[in-house]
Amino acid sequence: MRQVGFLVDVSRCLGCRACEVACKNYFGLGETQRYRRVSEVEWQTEDGIGLFYLSLACNHCENPECFRVCPNRTYRKRRDGIVVHDAGLCDGCCTCVKACPYGAPQYDADTGKVDKCDLCVSRLDAGLRPACEEACTNDALKVIFLDRIDETGLLKSVPTLPDIRITRPSIRFNPPVVRKQWLSKK
Amino acid sequence: MPKVFRNLCPRNCFSTCSILSYVENGKLVRVSGDPAHGFTRGNLCAKGYAYVERVYSPERILHPLRQFPRGSGNWCPITWEEALETIARKILELKGRYHSFRPVGFCKQYGNMGLLHYAANALFDGLGSVTVTEGNSCWSAGLDAYLYSMGSMEKPDPEDMVNSKVIVLWGVNPAWTAVHQMHFIDRARTRGAQVVVIDPVFTATAAQADLYLRPKAGSDGALALGMAKYIVENAWHDHEFLAHHVEGYEAFFAYLTSISYDWVEQETALPVEAIKEVTELYALNSPAAIWTGLGLQRHTNGGQNVRTILTLAALTGNLGRPGAGLYNPSMTPWELFSFYTRDHVISRHPVEHRRININLLGAELKKTTDPPVKMLWLAQRDLFQDAHTGSLRGALEDLELIVQVDQFLNRSSRYADIFLPTTTQFEEWDVLPSYWHHWIGINEPAISPLGESKSDLQIAWDLSRKLNELSPGICSFPTAGKEEEWVAGEFNQEVYSRLEIEDYRELLQGPRKLKWPQVAWEEMKFKTPSEKFEISSLTAASEGLPLLPVYSEPASAPAAYPFRLMTPHSQSGNNSQFLNLPWLTWGTGEPCLRINPLTAKRLGLSNGARVRVYNQQGEIVFPVKLSATIREDTLVCFQGWPGSAEHELNDLLNGSPTDMGSKGSGRPSIAIHDTFVNLCPA
Ligand code: SF4
Ligand code: SF4
Ligand code: SF4
Repeated sequence: MRQVGFLVDVSRCLGCRACEVACKNYFGLGETQRYRRVSEVEWQTEDGIGLFYLSLACNHCENPECFRVCPNRTYRKRRDGIVVHDAGLCDGCCTCVKACPYGAPQYDADTGKVDKCDLCVSRLDAGLRPACEEACTNDALKVIFLDRIDETGLLKSVPTLPDIRITRPSIRFNPPVVRKQWLSKK
Repeated sequence: MPKVFRNLCPRNCFSTCSILSYVENGKLVRVSGDPAHGFTRGNLCAKGYAYVERVYSPERILHPLRQFPRGSGNWCPITWEEALETIARKILELKGRYHSFRPVGFCKQYGNMGLLHYAANALFDGLGSVTVTEGNSCWSAGLDAYLYSMGSMEKPDPEDMVNSKVIVLWGVNPAWTAVHQMHFIDRARTRGAQVVVIDPVFTATAAQADLYLRPKAGSDGALALGMAKYIVENAWHDHEFLAHHVEGYEAFFAYLTSISYDWVEQETALPVEAIKEVTELYALNSPAAIWTGLGLQRHTNGGQNVRTILTLAALTGNLGRPGAGLYNPSMTPWELFSFYTRDHVISRHPVEHRRININLLGAELKKTTDPPVKMLWLAQRDLFQDAHTGSLRGALEDLELIVQVDQFLNRSSRYADIFLPTTTQFEEWDVLPSYWHHWIGINEPAISPLGESKSDLQIAWDLSRKLNELSPGICSFPTAGKEEEWVAGEFNQEVYSRLEIEDYRELLQGPRKLKWPQVAWEEMKFKTPSEKFEISSLTAASEGLPLLPVYSEPASAPAAYPFRLMTPHSQSGNNSQFLNLPWLTWGTGEPCLRINPLTAKRLGLSNGARVRVYNQQGEIVFPVKLSATIREDTLVCFQGWPGSAEHELNDLLNGSPTDMGSKGSGRPSIAIHDTFVNLCPA
């Protein structure tokens, strides 16, 4: 089965949020709609501070909860695995918003509807890269074909990503890296 | 199909991006980066991508307004005619009352850096001697360190960083404040370069570094001295270079023998191994570059610290060669332009304005007499992003008229009487160079001015017309014109030949790179009195500063206020700009106060707990966010968040001057990062 998804290199992500806002700019999103969300993840390691940024949109899951729960059947999984949502059919009940473990569907108070990342299908179809990937200065985001890539060295999850067993998200990560740090004299 | 126009981002930012603006039915629908721009390479930053929201924000002011009474928030629309008439009459009345224009105050900084926005400056030049603010809170101390050491602020083409073998990012967070530079840093890395970050905060850039050092804030000079000592002890210095191009190194070497590594450890709170590791990396891998950040110099010893860091390049001969060098913003490419707008009046009729310190505006307004300042023109400026904002309130209340020219009401608006709406870059002609890269683009109008907004240039013409109507000949600034002709006026033969074009309109096809040296100081003729790199600076000594880059003690926390409060830039705002936009702020959990987990534990605070942060000047309440990225004695809140009428973050900043700053920009800067506070649960 063909499955398009994202490869996120958390060791390269700068947390600059260009991807997040480039997406809002491209789709003209509402004030509170974040199809892509960049968050800061900090943890303590043996070697010092672990810090990476996590840029997440919709994960175009293999078992999309959104699709399963929507009473209006607004979700559809394309042959290439991309999960698309038909806002025309949406009545804004937000069942999917509550069901998606990753917070991908986003309600807009102005339109009274939910919508989410469609992996820029119209751009992909035109041979363009998604708006977020194109906006990333540090090449931290890439669209991948999960059925074709070699997953050696890639992670299926990273700290703070909600449990992946429910929906099997189509996202992979290059692992976070902690390099040499001198924080203070012991 | 949308029509595409070219704009420039005029913010106070390293990148000065060229923007492609997509317009449908007269409406800006989308922006993108400009692939023809060789430095920004088709990308904007998060703030740049939010411009559509900024242009059409429901909060944007599109009509002239009058607030009555002041501070009431009762803003009523008035016509341009009424607004200009009120302002012009006030200016003339003050002139009559005091026989001088000096009661008229003018305050502008970097809200919009476009060359045509200097029209406001020229308008006031056209009146005669008024009161203008001088100095800036940004880069003055570090700038002076460069001026004492090398005589002028010249730096390499930032694209040359790809040739570096070591890149030291000292107190700078380009991942958030100059994101396009990260591409060139990354290219250097793929070619084997090592990246070092030295910063009191473990930033997003630090997370990318091969080596990170976290010195105590303000101790950078001690760290640099430790590095210099280790270089000299190991004879890693460049003898040849020192002998030919450096003044005063012998005396400096003697000074280095007087400091000990124990002392360096104590000052910086870093182990000597860290100092040795970074020194070895920098001294033994040539060419090596150092980028001195702007936060670094916002300390009471900031200028001297920067000066000490600069000597490391002189010791190791890391100057004048590809891949080497010292990086800091530089206005040298700006000087190629004609400043047709800014100097419109002053080039013909030189005027000596009365100058007051922008960094202490409240106090300065209060103490200025004979004649006092009675009116203030605020050009795209929020005064509450400065230090010691508490003292501003009373001073502003005393003024008889405050005119604000901007796109949004801000914290200063509480004190303003008249608000004049100005256009964004998408609604006007303009041109502006970068203080970082060497690309020049052009800014054309993509859409018509929204509502009744007018460009700063148009406002200046209109006010001059009104003044001259009421009192013929009173203002020598033109009363009408064509914006595009003024853009043309900013260009000259030199700029054209360096861009290899014949007409500015060619830039509508895409920005071009100035023919400008890739490497600074290639000729090794420094612009100091000795024509050498001056470690020992008689100029500094004659201006009351140390002859040598000796250590100058940092400010330390008083017992009552044991925490250092730092207010660095976030990725989502640029000083006071952008943070009013939901696209950039909604859902981010800011503003909050970052606090080290050990400190939080000691005080019994957990994530999200609300604390009152206070010192002798003010207080503000925040939720805390635990983060080991900062030291236990440090607190961080990103700058730019609007407070409330009673509580501003900047009330806490005490406004102590930096040690340097008067040489390059007229006044010392503000030691913003030497702010000390205490906190308790709210
Ligand atoms: S991330 Fe959420 S919205 Fe996207 S496919 Fe998975 S369940 Fe559906
Ligand atoms: S644009 Fe790239 S570097 Fe910036 S936050 Fe997004 S993924 Fe990270
Ligand atoms: S703020 Fe800076 S990086 Fe962002 S769009 Fe403007 S010039 Fe470019």
